[in-house]
Amino acid sequence: MTGVSYLAVAPEIILTAGAVVVLMVDVFARPSSRVHGWLVSATYALVAIAIGFQWRRVDLDGPGVSFGGTLLLNHLSVTVRAILLVATVLGTAAAWRMLVGLRRRAAEGIALIMVATVGFMLMGASADLVMTFVALEVGSIALYVLAGIMRSSPAGDEAAMKYFLLGAFASAIFIYGGALVYAATGSTDVNEIAARLSGVHVTRPAVLLIGVGLIVVGLGFKVTAAPFHSWAPDVYQGAPSGVVGFMAAVAKIGGFAALINILTGGFERYSGAWGDGLALIAAASVTLGTLLAIQQSDVRRMLAYSGVAHAGFILTGLAAGLVGISGVMFYVATYSVMVVGAFAAVTAVSGQANTGSSFEEYRGLARRSPVVAAVLATLMIAMSGMPLTTGFIGKFQVFTSAWEGGYEWLVITGLLASVAAFFFYLRLVVVMYFRGDEGAETTLVVARSIRWVLVVAAGASVALGIFPGPLLDLLNGVGV
Amino acid sequence: MVELVIFALMGAVALAGAIGVVRARNPVYGAMGLMATLFALAVFYVVHLAHFVAVVQVIVYAGAVITLFLFVIMFVGVDRAEDLTEKLPVQRPVALIVLVGVVVLAGALVVTGRFDWVIASGEPPVVRGTIEEIGENLISVGPPSDRQASRWLLPFEATSLLLIVAAVGAIALAFYRPRRKDESPADPDPGPGS
Repeated sequence: MTGVSYLAVAPEIILTAGAVVVLMVDVFARPSSRVHGWLVSATYALVAIAIGFQWRRVDLDGPGVSFGGTLLLNHLSVTVRAILLVATVLGTAAAWRMLVGLRRRAAEGIALIMVATVGFMLMGASADLVMTFVALEVGSIALYVLAGIMRSSPAGDEAAMKYFLLGAFASAIFIYGGALVYAATGSTDVNEIAARLSGVHVTRPAVLLIGVGLIVVGLGFKVTAAPFHSWAPDVYQGAPSGVVGFMAAVAKIGGFAALINILTGGFERYSGAWGDGLALIAAASVTLGTLLAIQQSDVRRMLAYSGVAHAGFILTGLAAGLVGISGVMFYVATYSVMVVGAFAAVTAVSGQANTGSSFEEYRGLARRSPVVAAVLATLMIAMSGMPLTTGFIGKFQVFTSAWEGGYEWLVITGLLASVAAFFFYLRLVVVMYFRGDEGAETTLVVARSIRWVLVVAAGASVALGIFPGPLLDLLNGVGV
Repeated sequence: MVELVIFALMGAVALAGAIGVVRARNPVYGAMGLMATLFALAVFYVVHLAHFVAVVQVIVYAGAVITLFLFVIMFVGVDRAEDLTEKLPVQRPVALIVLVGVVVLAGALVVTGRFDWVIASGEPPVVRGTIEEIGENLISVGPPSDRQASRWLLPFEATSLLLIVAAVGAIALAFYRPRRKDESPADPDPGPGS
């Protein structure tokens, strides 16, 4: 099955078609937001069905490649698509008020969200450096625009510009790495690279390893791993908060999937070298992310730095190589849901635009809106990795595989950082529940779509934390 | 010998252009410097017998991209005074240190002979470089047995998606009209004439 397979790209085709339909309907009919809602829901439902068919095909026929080896169809790539779909559905719902508020530009906003998902889906299934690069750009450019789509505040424009310039820089680093790998191996096809490397003993692998290193740096930027994270706080703070959760989730899902595909697919032979590299980045991310998150006085910036720390935890699982993949996917999936939910709560409290979301605004939130406060508290506790939440299971998974992979020092660093992280996660909970009685009369009005996201995110974080078995079983076959 | 002369000449042009981009106070001169650099690179490609890449380089980069840059510069205004005082205290010395480090490292690698280029490929990749072959590579489906056929099909199609994103994104950003002060937030769409 190396030729053209429409099933292998069915979710992407449906999403692209959905985006085009939304745009074209907007040209001819000027539909209401209800029509947009139906179109989007139908598209997502069809994508879910297509993903189901893909999973079934892989179950029956085993993993395969199509489009001349460019695209993988295996359990991992289908899982990545499913996680991306969940993040996109939740993200679209969280951003819905903002999208409708764009009025004449609503269709463009919806289409950009869909196309961004297409880009990261292709990235997660790509087995070719050129394909990965193009997919990365499709997804990233859509996100750059989404970061600045409100245009009503200079902070949003600044966020979009910063994201765009630094993102373009990271893309250039990625493609330079790809060029060096091509120079060293003569191929951009990941499986082909693995085949060529397996037969020979490379006496001087400097060019190859520098290339792999640059690829890791380029993707490390997308997943906000330290020290390539400096853009994240400003962008998360300035971009419309409904979109930020989506941005943070899909970029991480796509980036980590691409890292897995490229590193374990093409450079398994050098797993010692890139494993050590990833372990260093992971240690830097958990330490820097946690220490800087403690100092923040703005909830969005705090969540941005906590995202850096979470990227570090995910990389901890990845450093061990193939054994860690199912744990990594569990962590990525649950973190995506948590981060979309957390930013939906921020949207509910502080509004879409960047009007500041300091801890002050969350004083006594439990009295103004018990539901939002309870959800945000649940998500904070889940992110901190308390038992009976998905955060605990995820951390347990990545720490176990890192320990088995021989990175004991990294596990200890991660554990210390997790303990320190309790401080800033629980501080928000304390602020919401035990501070401030003023404004107790005013109740917070929360849009229905956002309420839905909040309940789903918090519910999933607890339910899958208590009963992680089915999802873990499902993901267990993914790593092979 | 001829190649060496061309390399030295064009290398000097490329470097001079690059320095011009950074040093020129007038942005138009900067764009011209960039164009010189891109032309010099195109000549390098010709020397390496990559005529197609050279042509694309001249048309797309030296042509279209630089024209776009000039448009933007003219649009923003050439003679607007820019504040060029240094606001980044540590960047300059750090950049110098990194530069020296890179030069020393590269020099050491070359001198000790540890910088081999082609190291792992069994046989050199087959270059299919004529226009017809490139076109066929990009959009041909080919027989399923041929692993190379349809290899670039998906990246090619994804590139068209990239163009859609760029167009949609440009529209989404450009069609913004600031809301008037007296207009209430609940106001329905006032339409294009307002």
